[in-house]
Amino acid sequence: MKKRRAYSAAAVLSVGALALSACSSGNGGGGGSSNPSGGSTTAASTAKVQTITVGTAADSVGPAPAVAGAKKGGTAIDLEPAGINHLDPAEAYVNQEQVIGQLFSRQLTNYKIDPTTGKTTLVGDLATDTGTSSDGGKTWTFHLKDGLKWQDGTAITSDQVKYGIERLFSSFETAGPQYLQQWLTGQSDFRKVYGGPQGGKSLPDSVLATPDDKTIVFHFKTPHADAPYAMALSGSGPILKAKDTGPKYDTAPFSDGPYVVSSYKPGKALELTRNKYWDAKTDPIRGAFPDKWDIQLGVEQPGLTQRLEQQSGSDKDAVSLVQSADPTQMSVLAASQYKSRLESNYQPFVDVFNINVSRIKNVKVRQAIIYAFPMQQVQTALGGPQQGELGTNLIGPTVSGFKPSDPYGKLTKPLGDPEKAKELLKEAGVKNLHLSFAYSNSGQRWANVATTLKNSFAKAGITLDAKAIDPTAYYTLIGKTNNPYDLYRTGWGSDWPNASTVIPPTQDGRLVADDDPNYSHLNDPKVNSEIDRISKITDLTQQAAEWQTLAETIMKTDAPEIPYLYDKYYNVYGDGLGGISYNSAYGTINPNTIYVK
Amino acid sequence: MLRFLTRRVLGAAVILVLISLVTYLLFFALPSDPALLSCGKNCTPSNIAQIHKNLGLDKPIIVQWWDYLIGIFGGRHLPLGNCPAPCFGLSFNNQTPVWALLKDRYPTTLSLAIGGSFIFLVVGVGLGLVSAWKQGSVFDRAASSVSLLGQSVQIYFIGPLAIYLLSYKLGWLNRGQDPSWGAHPGSSLTGLVLPCLVMSVIFWSNYSRQTRSLMVEQLSEEHVRTARAKGMGSRYVFLRYALRGAMGPIITIFGIDLGSVFGGAIITEATFGLHGLGNLAVSAVTQQDLPLEMGVMLIGATSIVIFNIIVDACYALIDPRIRLA
Amino acid sequence: MTTVTKPDPAPKDPVSTDPFLSVRDLYVRFATEDGTVKAVDGLSFDLERGETLGIVGESGSGKSVTNLAILGLHNPRNTTIAGEIMLDGQELTGASNRTLERLRGNKMAMIFQDSLTALSPYYTVGRQIAEPFMKHTGASKREGRARAIEMLARVGIPQPQTRVDDFPHQFSGGMRQRAMIALALVCDPELVIADEPTTALDVTVQAQILDLLKDLQQETGTSIILITHDLGVIANTADKVVVMYAGRAVERGTTREILKAPEHPYAWGLLSSIPRLTADVDVPLSPIPGTPPSLLNPPSGCPFHPRCAFVEKVGGDRCSTERPQLPDGRGSACHLTTEQKRDIFIEQIQPRLR
Repeated sequence: MKKRRAYSAAAVLSVGALALSACSSGNGGGGGSSNPSGGSTTAASTAKVQTITVGTAADSVGPAPAVAGAKKGGTAIDLEPAGINHLDPAEAYVNQEQVIGQLFSRQLTNYKIDPTTGKTTLVGDLATDTGTSSDGGKTWTFHLKDGLKWQDGTAITSDQVKYGIERLFSSFETAGPQYLQQWLTGQSDFRKVYGGPQGGKSLPDSVLATPDDKTIVFHFKTPHADAPYAMALSGSGPILKAKDTGPKYDTAPFSDGPYVVSSYKPGKALELTRNKYWDAKTDPIRGAFPDKWDIQLGVEQPGLTQRLEQQSGSDKDAVSLVQSADPTQMSVLAASQYKSRLESNYQPFVDVFNINVSRIKNVKVRQAIIYAFPMQQVQTALGGPQQGELGTNLIGPTVSGFKPSDPYGKLTKPLGDPEKAKELLKEAGVKNLHLSFAYSNSGQRWANVATTLKNSFAKAGITLDAKAIDPTAYYTLIGKTNNPYDLYRTGWGSDWPNASTVIPPTQDGRLVADDDPNYSHLNDPKVNSEIDRISKITDLTQQAAEWQTLAETIMKTDAPEIPYLYDKYYNVYGDGLGGISYNSAYGTINPNTIYVK
Repeated sequence: MLRFLTRRVLGAAVILVLISLVTYLLFFALPSDPALLSCGKNCTPSNIAQIHKNLGLDKPIIVQWWDYLIGIFGGRHLPLGNCPAPCFGLSFNNQTPVWALLKDRYPTTLSLAIGGSFIFLVVGVGLGLVSAWKQGSVFDRAASSVSLLGQSVQIYFIGPLAIYLLSYKLGWLNRGQDPSWGAHPGSSLTGLVLPCLVMSVIFWSNYSRQTRSLMVEQLSEEHVRTARAKGMGSRYVFLRYALRGAMGPIITIFGIDLGSVFGGAIITEATFGLHGLGNLAVSAVTQQDLPLEMGVMLIGATSIVIFNIIVDACYALIDPRIRLA
Repeated sequence: MTTVTKPDPAPKDPVSTDPFLSVRDLYVRFATEDGTVKAVDGLSFDLERGETLGIVGESGSGKSVTNLAILGLHNPRNTTIAGEIMLDGQELTGASNRTLERLRGNKMAMIFQDSLTALSPYYTVGRQIAEPFMKHTGASKREGRARAIEMLARVGIPQPQTRVDDFPHQFSGGMRQRAMIALALVCDPELVIADEPTTALDVTVQAQILDLLKDLQQETGTSIILITHDLGVIANTADKVVVMYAGRAVERGTTREILKAPEHPYAWGLLSSIPRLTADVDVPLSPIPGTPPSLLNPPSGCPFHPRCAFVEKVGGDRCSTERPQLPDGRGSACHLTTEQKRDIFIEQIQPRLR
């Protein structure tokens, strides 16, 4: 997924701090990976991580795996703290948009989740499999299944997929992922090459071909071993040209999934009802048990958590697919009475403190800062271990190839090691180090973090000047390459469970520019060339292992960031729902296995 | 009266235009760029430029503002779609016409404001009347201390408490839901009782205190004494003469409070998860949705202006000296 | 005292020795934050049917308070009343609120000083006049309105049929005062208390209003208490006068006696401060020196002694220690001897009045 929208972070952070001792986190309920309880200092290293694998053609055959006890019917309720910005699959990037989008749009591939084991497999969704590559990973071919239909009964064909991909280039499609556009054109500014299907222009067959109604062939400029994953992004599906309303499609999409949008009031409510032309036999992913999804938007915290806790009336059939509990309520939810309906699981986000490499040029100083950093106190100040486990890796546990690594011994000394920091500063010949720390002034929690950091850094002889920034301006200001800050927090999530969507965008020094996600401005030629080399590896397992090694090396030799927290989904759901499973690729509850009891 | 109305309306129009300009200037005075919130992970210069173009942010500020103003009356053709008059722009976030959002959300805020006002006027003025009637009694003293307590609470504090107790624990009241007066008038009413009640609490003390002191003052007025000298009963004098005299100032205070009433409605919405202007305002500000910000500002300001005119008209209705002047 | 029976309708029953209104040893005290204000301090006077009693005195002398006490309009929360008020054989100081409500506006009515503030701005003149009529006679709204028009006509308001629907602020000052009178007289009261009824008006209107009052009295035989600080007003209207100072009556007599041969130094002062058209322009007016006394803490002895020019004539410290008594009937509460009073008035005061 993408970095969470600044505003949703702001909404979460606006709640007052809750001082929690770092006790063990609750067990994950339902299916999915579990986080065995234990000291949070060691949780990351002992957490059992569900590796997402790429499935076969057999895995891609519908219907979706049976869910024990499941029955059709009823209305399931989803509570969302804010609105949904985009219903147009081409604009979907936030995990909320993707997971809700699954209910009314289908892609070439998607994630199939076993409701009992939680085993997650990438399978063909509209496609018969996850694609076959040729030409050294540059050409990818997909075949469509039989019996695929739109909500009006029109058959789904490959030229509609081509039109859907072409539409990603349109001038109004600015929010969605741009992998396919860039891979097909070889340009980051892809609109210079092709501006979308409006005006009748089409991508040539040499780029995107549809030799028959069921076949679509992508010709990328460079090899892309993780193309099957890219085809699971929301925009990688068909659009019916006759129903393409341009920018208006964003509020009224035409469905090829199990549900149609029957009513939508932006920011208020989205109602999904059954699509009678959707055929379960073609769909290996979606169980589509409830007759209706009542998606309630703008249900603000802490009211959202309170409703799930109390589950009064129809709220017993409610879940929050994306939103974790309000931090003030997390300790309440840890009580045993909620255990049977609690979901606690990793999200694909890693929280880091960036050290501004353009200002702190000496690596020894950066390492000293890492040693001095009190990760556990920061975790406590933010609300405790329920919302995130201590982690020290640039790559999070939901990404394949993840291996715990802790070069600075942070997990053994989670409160910081001021002595070691002093030693390194002495070696570097730095006295009276002053750091300017920027934080989003979105509530008491970050002010508490600032205080904690100030005190801990003081023990290492480092003076911290904390600067509060208005939440709406935070990313604008820290996104400037010449920003005046030394330390600032950001989060990054993988777009799919391969570190190719983590390490290159955040560590490639050639990309450093205003608003680029390489917030620490690291530009190490050795790292850059490694990125180029690993990107070309066609074996995904080998590639994943190499990314992990590179991530460790970056931490050891460049120390540009302090990864400290693997974010978690942590919330309860209503007793009236069954078949709850977890999508670790999105970091959300998986709606496809849910049924109303 | 007509001239008075014309002058008020013209004055209000000037104020609204100024508010819109100030909102625009303040928005652009912030260092933040709304494009950064919609470019996702693709904040490349070309994508940001495209977003600026789509949202109309590539034009000079004053041109943007003027286009916006003209669009309210004439409608606009925007890069992301048509916006028929009255066009308050398309929301930066979902390209929905802001006017449609306002129309959808306004009834909630208005219902809250009216319902809350009704409750605090009835409760506050009622308490004040009883206190004035029984000056110095135990009730009088109890009411003043209780209302003092009411003044010091905050909606976002008592709101969740009230939901927990009155809705979840005791099950007496609906936990609050958006009204849809056309479709479900009954549940719209029950769904608003708790939010209106909670919202009204912060106003109780002010209105009971003001009413009490206004009534005490009125009771010593000479025309009230005349009424007693005529042999009219105490209750008659209290309600027909003293209260009549106190009503004008109470209405004036209410007119001044209108801003806070709408503000209170907005905080209440957030607390109860209702979808009104407040909910829109929050998402407009956090998502830097300029057209939405403008729309909420303008409709809020217009409401306050219109309600003030209504309040003034009520005052004239009550006081013949103003009506016939 | 006889017990209360329905009084004989003949206003001046020669057998009855009781006056129509009798105030005996009236004390009115207000509790304030600073202490007790002795607003009326042992006041007595009588009023016969059809008679007009003038009560004169500076502001704060207790004139108005006395009359509010008669109507029972004081605030019971902070006021204590002692003494006796008998109206037509009925005791009023201890009467219930309900009894008083039945009498107010009906048997006894009050005309207030400032008709702008004394009439409610929120109701039409007609409604305000009709209200007591409807309440006390059980008349209908239509009858009440007809009565209001009749009353407005009686007090000399032109076009009463249309003016009845006007609000007080649409009337001129004089017309408003007429309406005030109409309001007081709507139930044909037997006692009318007029509290400075002309003070707020200009001189020509003053005379008209006083004439109106006199005419109405002749028509109905009402008793009137006329409160004023203006002896000129008294001269034309009152039969008897009580001069009040510091909550007490300091002199009483017929109007002629008070104007021609006043006995109390305070009454001299009041008389001297009236401007006269016949007076020489070079003879200055002589206002009473000093300020009215504080009723929170009134002077000992004779309350007027700090302002009195004739304390030495009495001798010793009698004026500051001993309270002079007011005899029944004609007389004044002053330690000067009758001769002294006469001599001083003739030698020192009268020349200044010419």
